[in-house]
Amino acid sequence: MAAAIETKKLTKTYKSRSLGAVNVVDELDLHVEEGEIFGFLGPNGAGKTTTIKMLLSIIYPTSGEGWVLGREIGDMEVHKVISYLPERPYYYEYMTGLELLMFYSSLFGMKDVERCKKLLERVNLAGDASKTISQYSKGMQQRIGLAQSLLNDPKLLFLDEPTGGLDPIAHTEIRDLILQFRDEGRTVFISSHELSEVERICDRVAIINRGKIVRQGKLSELLHGGRFEVIAENLDRSFEDTVKIPDAIVSYANGRLIVDMPEGEDLNALIDSIRSAKGTIVSVIPRRKRLEDLFVQTVRDTNQGAAR
Amino acid sequence: MRAIVAIASTTVGEAIRRKVLLIILLIGLLFLSIAPGLGGLSPRQETTVLTSMMLGILQLTSAVIAIVLTVYLIPTEIERRTIYTILSKPVQRWQFLVGKYVGAILALGLMMLLMSGVLLLTYYLLQRDVSRLGEIAKAPLFYFVQMSLLAAVAVFFSTFVSPLVNFFLSGGLYFIGSMLNTIYDTFANSPTTNPAVKAVASVINVIVPNFANYNIQNPIINPGQQIQNPTAYALFTTAYGVFYILILLIGAILIFDKREV
Repeated sequence: MAAAIETKKLTKTYKSRSLGAVNVVDELDLHVEEGEIFGFLGPNGAGKTTTIKMLLSIIYPTSGEGWVLGREIGDMEVHKVISYLPERPYYYEYMTGLELLMFYSSLFGMKDVERCKKLLERVNLAGDASKTISQYSKGMQQRIGLAQSLLNDPKLLFLDEPTGGLDPIAHTEIRDLILQFRDEGRTVFISSHELSEVERICDRVAIINRGKIVRQGKLSELLHGGRFEVIAENLDRSFEDTVKIPDAIVSYANGRLIVDMPEGEDLNALIDSIRSAKGTIVSVIPRRKRLEDLFVQTVRDTNQGAAR
Repeated sequence: MRAIVAIASTTVGEAIRRKVLLIILLIGLLFLSIAPGLGGLSPRQETTVLTSMMLGILQLTSAVIAIVLTVYLIPTEIERRTIYTILSKPVQRWQFLVGKYVGAILALGLMMLLMSGVLLLTYYLLQRDVSRLGEIAKAPLFYFVQMSLLAAVAVFFSTFVSPLVNFFLSGGLYFIGSMLNTIYDTFANSPTTNPAVKAVASVINVIVPNFANYNIQNPIINPGQQIQNPTAYALFTTAYGVFYILILLIGAILIFDKREV
């Protein structure tokens, strides 16, 4: 699959009087494939927004290279097919929703009122098209932000904290829209702190800390726990003693045998032995890490590594 | 071009809704309206002093509006992050800057038009003399070029200094530029001046835009002082202003293009 975003040793250095030169983004190697939802995670000040700004050529890299949809960053042509929703965006408050979309569409050289109206419908704001932005709630402002980001039918969307500070209903609405974007074949690059949200919708993630990528990969692989939990019933308590699997935790409670074991060939052998003993398999569940745990552990490890 | 027009129109929309600008405008309009209330003047003095005072109010109010409007033009867009959504579209930085400038002078022009209307109406109601209205109306046109130049100075500084510093820098430059003829005559043309001071005065004379070119109230007020060739003077001063505006905008674009926002 072609890369929607590719960076090689992308670096942004700021000079500070007290700290000297600080690499806010440090030799970043990022690879985002077309058509995926990519989560860009990191604690505050990790370099997420700086990276996005460099990819959008709002700020300039100190060194390194980057490509967006195959074009070098800074190439204005690519801005015709990408879009950006910044964190806590502000829109001209005196404009109505429709006027705002018309303004942004004129930046693309378009003046398509019908398209703007359709986009308002898509983000459930058709009924509020004539209200001014100052009358919009936070969730409505975020939805109008998503509508403006769709004006040019983008191939790649950069969303910086798209669900930040929204109530659960607005969360769900935004999440559904993002999932629709993927179904339409768009690439979505999300920078977020909402880890449960990212876990639900992202295909791949990268964790950035202190300007460096410390983890990057498919979410399913990163969260792969490598263990299974097997629950069975209708077994004698003595069956507990027959389970001899290395590194397994075996317990018996409420007439149920619970085996927490590493994945491998022993799983089939255990299932076979339960069936032979006329037991009933209740469930076999692959144990998955939570993204939150992975994130916290990764950030902690890198912080400790840096402190040493 | 459409991007510049769109950015300019939003700048006008924002400017005419900014409370601080509207308050300054209202104060200017108020002073223009009460200026005739000053009594104790002979009819001849009344005409001269009144015209002078009202043009002075118009010019001062326009200068304050021009500076207050433009010093915040770029920093506000950065602070509110509206610039990010705009620059992520296929909009070049120079288009953004030019759009903001054009919008600012359009808004300024609208406000000056309103003040000029009040000025001319007040003058007419008091003097009942239509014959001089055309002559008086020339001054706001010159002031508009002057204020467009002042706005370009403030836009230039706004690409690299804070609004507060910009306020004093632009205001200071406007003050020096308005006194330029006097300063230059005092230092450069005096036989007793030190050559080094003369050189500095000459450099300032070249670098600082001569805002005094546009202060044409004296010939308007005083029929004894006439501009030899009004059309040529108007063309020269407009071309001079446009030249400086272009230089300042090019400088601003070059700086803004490298700036991290």
